Amino acid sequence: MPTRSDLRVFGGYCVAAAIYIAIGVTWIDFLFSFWVGLAYVVLTCWAVPTLVRRFT
Amino acid sequence: MSWAAHDLEPYAIQKHAGLKLAFVPLLIGSYSPDMMSKWFVYGIHLGPWDLKASDPAQFHRGWPGVGFTHSLTYGLLIGLLIWKVFGSKLWGVSFMIGQFAHALTDTGDTVGTMLLFPWTFHFHLDAWAYAGQTGRNTDAAAYFSGLGCMWDLVWIVYGLYSWRVLTSAYFDEVIYRADRFWPWLNRTIPRGALLTLYRAAFFYGTSRWIAWTIWAHVIHHYPYDLSWGGPHWVPAAHP
Repeated sequence: MPTRSDLRVFGGYCVAAAIYIAIGVTWIDFLFSFWVGLAYVVLTCWAVPTLVRRFT
Repeated sequence: MSWAAHDLEPYAIQKHAGLKLAFVPLLIGSYSPDMMSKWFVYGIHLGPWDLKASDPAQFHRGWPGVGFTHSLTYGLLIGLLIWKVFGSKLWGVSFMIGQFAHALTDTGDTVGTMLLFPWTFHFHLDAWAYAGQTGRNTDAAAYFSGLGCMWDLVWIVYGLYSWRVLTSAYFDEVIYRADRFWPWLNRTIPRGALLTLYRAAFFYGTSRWIAWTIWAHVIHHYPYDLSWGGPHWVPAAHP
């Protein structure tokens, strides 16, 4: 079974995915580029949480 | 053509191969057939110029055209080239298997692929309509209304069922250990960022699948047609 930590990480990705989907549905050009998707996921699922942890 | 399977299949393949394959070349191989050609299939505007293939299906999958990129021969040759030029059998074999997955998956549509190029016969299962020639929006609407999107869904569900392949522990024990590329990258990029990079294609494929489904069926109300060869409301291309 997934651990509490696994589920917390999964939840974070789900929130990031929900925002990605909302942007993509509104502006579909956003969905076409793998590089945009890559930059988005690195930003939201690694850079932002890392910065938040560092400053809190 | 497939919209998410090429992002997701490498995770399933890696799950079964474990340390025998490297994830990065597997993913590059899975993307490689469409890397240089997709923009010309859909067309782009560059200032006053409209650049688009006169026969997108022929250009994308046929010969003359760049259809050879969807053949097993191409995967084998580029895999051998990677092995001999860069001296990495692991990368060569991983690339080849990723490319094979792409070429085989694309036999599912009505145009299919020339698997055994230079034999120009198209292997096609006709399960879903190839509609690249209609432009990217109509193609998306058609793909996400037929069996193609259901094939993608199989990989999403299988990926979630195999959730361990996306965990930090799996990344450390298998992905990172299988390929020296990751320790090399880790000299400049923190491990947390590498883990996110590893998960990116799964995130991209799954999120895109959901977004296009919402776009096609909630916003635009394109009808689902899950019959073989559908959706039949779009003119499907054939070889």
